[in-house]
Amino acid sequence: MAITSHRFPYFSVSLGSGIFWHFLEFNDQLPRIQVEEEIPCTAFAVKRRNEPLYRVIIKGKRISVEFTHILTDGGGGLEYLKSLVYTYLTLTGKHISTPGEIILPGTPVSKEESEDGYIKFFQKLPPPSKLVRAWHLPFKLNKRPRLRVIRAEIKVDEILAISRKLKVSVTEYFVSVYFFSLQKIFISSKGFGKKEKRKVLRIEVPVNMRNKFPTRTMRNFSLFVLPEIDVRLGTYTFEEILKSVHHQLQISTDIKQISRFLSSNVSYEKLLIIRIMPLFIKKMVTAVIYRNLASKRWTGMVTNLGLVTLPGEMEDMIDSFELIPTPPNRKVKSGCALLSYRDKLRICFCDITQSTEVERHIFRHLSDAGIHVKILNNNYKHGV
Amino acid sequence: MTLCVNCGVELDDGLKICPLCGKDPENKGEQEKISGNYPSDIIQLEKKETRRYLWELSGIIAFSGIAVCTILDLLTGKGLNWSLFSDVSITAAWVILTLYLFAYKRTLIIVTLQMLAILTALYFIDLIATGREWFFPVGLPVTFAGFIAAGTVIVLYRVVHLKGMNIIASGFIALSGYCIITEIIFDKYLRGFVDLQWSLIVAVSILPIALLFFFYHYRLKKGNRLDSIFHI
Repeated sequence: MAITSHRFPYFSVSLGSGIFWHFLEFNDQLPRIQVEEEIPCTAFAVKRRNEPLYRVIIKGKRISVEFTHILTDGGGGLEYLKSLVYTYLTLTGKHISTPGEIILPGTPVSKEESEDGYIKFFQKLPPPSKLVRAWHLPFKLNKRPRLRVIRAEIKVDEILAISRKLKVSVTEYFVSVYFFSLQKIFISSKGFGKKEKRKVLRIEVPVNMRNKFPTRTMRNFSLFVLPEIDVRLGTYTFEEILKSVHHQLQISTDIKQISRFLSSNVSYEKLLIIRIMPLFIKKMVTAVIYRNLASKRWTGMVTNLGLVTLPGEMEDMIDSFELIPTPPNRKVKSGCALLSYRDKLRICFCDITQSTEVERHIFRHLSDAGIHVKILNNNYKHGV
Repeated sequence: MTLCVNCGVELDDGLKICPLCGKDPENKGEQEKISGNYPSDIIQLEKKETRRYLWELSGIIAFSGIAVCTILDLLTGKGLNWSLFSDVSITAAWVILTLYLFAYKRTLIIVTLQMLAILTALYFIDLIATGREWFFPVGLPVTFAGFIAAGTVIVLYRVVHLKGMNIIASGFIALSGYCIITEIIFDKYLRGFVDLQWSLIVAVSILPIALLFFFYHYRLKKGNRLDSIFHI
């Protein structure tokens, strides 16, 4: 880990507090290596001085890395993990002749890797239109610790075949299944207040901005799009949802459209009034704004990191890859992450409610569509 | 390979219970375990949470206001002067808002505690301004009378079956009574004797209108709803 972390110096930072802003300061302490606990993604003690903002977790043959979003996103984290696994395998005597695109220890660190993509590609654009509040899952929260993880595995070929038949991408298909399941729960909860019925179903779908802009940054550079289903207009068939989600994602992930979100996010931190506001006020205000505005805008979250590719020699040594989504909050109570490796696609749900209705509806839908779903045991025994 | 027939999924080795439906897949006779909170036990977290967020936000605004007033007073004058009045007023307003947010629909508690909050604020204002001069002879009885008058109207609103112009008429009568009591209290405090003047004019002006409203309500319309009357 020391060798790998040395190659990623921009991750060797901790969070400092200035009068007006937080800042990242260089920290030569290595991240902790921890034994995997029952609950993943526990909070980082970011306020502690010299506290690294990522950690490596092990259990049996499984290696995980957990990053705070301050540092990087799923794309950057995956590159680190691949490099870490490569280093581990070579140190244990495995020979990998063609490491491919893996970032190797000892290779020069490019300045581009640590650049701030948001600032680099910022241009002042008109803000995106305002959104009405989204409907939220009406289930009771779990007692602490709240997080519940349900993991499943399906065959890439099966979901790909159905997606191709319907002429949509895997992400579009899965988001549509998610919407269809949410709509079922929404309909079941009829009669719970007129206000609830005035809202829409909306899903946050993160977008890897490295695919949109020419950058090699390893720092956090992701934004999200928000496809929605306006249930105030009536009930939708799955085909209607699929068509709508397909077009919405095509339009909203267009570089011009997504640049508006980037512009909107960065514009706030450029405002003079925000810049001169003391940090403690900023923290109070942003906490209230996040709870009352941001997280009320969407119902759930689906992130698809795509297909993980490794050199052929490494593939034989690694059984599976998996992504755990950012733990949800009290408003957006459920999140889901997809990641494909070789012929398997792993689906991982993070949920803080006592209900498994979302997962049940989604897996039932996939199963009815002819996709074989295997629910995985969380007591991990094997695999990396 | 274990299959859950409820959910249509395969369960991994070692999974005795399906994590989705909570059912033992091998026990075919067991009824499907329906999660207790779907859809019948759906909770209304929204309103509670909204009230809590509103309370937090109001707290930030109120105490920022207190801090700003205190700092300005300290910077512009010698010590704390006018800011004490604004601090007491803001705190009282915040306490009252808190009551409305958390004692939601408990009218008796809201009215009682609101009265106590206002009386406490007035006591401190008196203490700061004059060293406890007018609170007991004027502030306390006037506030108490106001709440009695308002409370009477609220009780009538709750008790009366057909609500309409009769409630407005009751409010007018309570208002005229409150004016008379207020003038008595002020007269006794300022002049030492009672000489009713303006409150009687208010009462004489209002009472015929109240009687007209009663007549309209009970003889002509027989209980038209307030929201229908004032619908825009």
